Amino acid sequence: MLSSVLLTIQVSAAATLINIPLALAVSWLMVKKRVRGRFVIDVLIALPLAVPPVAIGYFLLLMLGRNGPVGAALQTVLGIDVVFTWVAAALASAVVSFPLITRTVMVAMGGVDSRIEMSARSLGAGPWRIFLTITAPLAYRGILAGILLGFVRALSEFGATVVVAGNIAGRTQTIPLALFTSVQTGDDRAALQLAAVSVGIAVVTLLTHNWLLEKSRLQAA
Amino acid sequence: MTASILSLRVRKSFPDFSLDCEAAVEDGVTALFGPSGSGKTTLLNCIAGLIAPDEGRIEALGRTLYSSEDGRKVAPDKRRFGYVFQDAALFPHMNVWKNVLYGYNLTPKEDRRLEPERLMELLRIGPLRDRGVSTLSGGERQRVALARALAISPDMLLLDEPLASLDWEMRGLIIRYLKRIRAELGTPMLYVSHSISEVMALADDAIVLSRGRIVAQGPTSRVLVDPRLSGVAGLSTLENMFEAEIASNRGGEGLADLKVGNAVLLASNVYAAQGETVMASIRAGDIILSLDAPLRTSARNTIRAVIDEIHPLGQMVLVYLDIGTRLMVEITPGALSELRLEPGRTVYAVIKANSIMVMDPGEPQTHFS
Repeated sequence: MLSSVLLTIQVSAAATLINIPLALAVSWLMVKKRVRGRFVIDVLIALPLAVPPVAIGYFLLLMLGRNGPVGAALQTVLGIDVVFTWVAAALASAVVSFPLITRTVMVAMGGVDSRIEMSARSLGAGPWRIFLTITAPLAYRGILAGILLGFVRALSEFGATVVVAGNIAGRTQTIPLALFTSVQTGDDRAALQLAAVSVGIAVVTLLTHNWLLEKSRLQAA
Repeated sequence: MTASILSLRVRKSFPDFSLDCEAAVEDGVTALFGPSGSGKTTLLNCIAGLIAPDEGRIEALGRTLYSSEDGRKVAPDKRRFGYVFQDAALFPHMNVWKNVLYGYNLTPKEDRRLEPERLMELLRIGPLRDRGVSTLSGGERQRVALARALAISPDMLLLDEPLASLDWEMRGLIIRYLKRIRAELGTPMLYVSHSISEVMALADDAIVLSRGRIVAQGPTSRVLVDPRLSGVAGLSTLENMFEAEIASNRGGEGLADLKVGNAVLLASNVYAAQGETVMASIRAGDIILSLDAPLRTSARNTIRAVIDEIHPLGQMVLVYLDIGTRLMVEITPGALSELRLEPGRTVYAVIKANSIMVMDPGEPQTHFS
């Protein structure tokens, strides 16, 4: 059981680390640069929330499999196969949790008064400096809250993971998958323990998330 | 007459509004004046680079900042304009000193002409140095915003209604600081305002905008009497604002003689010391014109003066008196015709002592380091 707990944290952490730069970049483009085609991008961002995770897993399998475009490239260039590894589980969790991180970060960045950023601009700061010294520090609580929300979603990821990473004990079997196996085999003791651990991690993370959001709301007011 | 430091030709269309302006701005303080919705702030933002025009050309100090023909567009952070927003837009996560240093630190060493310490002292915000900006009053915030913008040693200050969110007394104080910046540092200013009183008090030149078009431009004293203005100025209260020296404070009981032009006026509620300079204001509508000197009256000030010019202004008539400086008096058309007032005629201006508002009794002092 310990191995599945550690693996879950490893997978979720990797998924979150993949998502952080992407979510920040996409949010910045959407909120501050107001790029063209925002309506379409907005739908794409939210899509993983609406599509069944199993479908996402299947799509990833098509992409990453030996005959898929990404999988074939990885095979020839690096000689690796990511399907049915913990990396595939991390990618699946990343896709599924991406909307939660990005949408929260977008709200946080949107809450930063653009006149404050324009002031920095007129004082000689370029876009990168404004992001690092103004936008990110003023939105950091909301950004952290989004990251935590994405992390908890990754912890509970099942559908996409089981399709693209399989359910291999010690290699890709995260807590939800181990729990599923325990229920299937009638091991109630293990199932209850795993469920309790899931609830424990989720409660701590969600409490931190809510506390951060509350603080950022107070700061905005 | 000085050469122009900023020349612009800007066209910008919005769904419900279009801006189409051509102007040359000279050294000194220039007001962009007009009612709200006339495009003043849009024009200022085009100059600052915060809005891209559809077409045109903007040049400042011989440098082309924007040209639709050459496809040239200098980024706002490379334009060297100090921009001051209406509500200061200070950085809420930094204290006063860090706000002021933000742009200074980004300014190349060879371009730094104004030291932050000096600006803090000039604007009297030195004691606020370590304060968080959320604890500041409106006037303090605006002074920090001015210091922060000046700390980049800007080619020009762009001010977007910096007094609009301030109370009446604070406005007078900030006007004095702006005058002081102009006198001490020589920084040219482009100043957006919809208050004719502010423009009169501060600006050398005025550009009058109406519905996205420039309807008048030139020296303030000439432009603001332009008859085309009467339709533009949705006038609120027209005030005479001027700096006045305390000739005598009559023992400090709140009454003081103010030297205004070549007249001496008795004002109440003044607590500044003799010899100090204060900002004073008299509403143009609070002054009575009389053909004869009133014999027995409670009004403490009667000034004999010659009418300089008479102009219609909206539903009222504006009479300029020469008292060594210009005094605006607002009267009705009926009074004008009944008294047969005309330029060159001598009249008496009658002003109550408590109609003269002194905006910053006692503050600030007049010496600089």
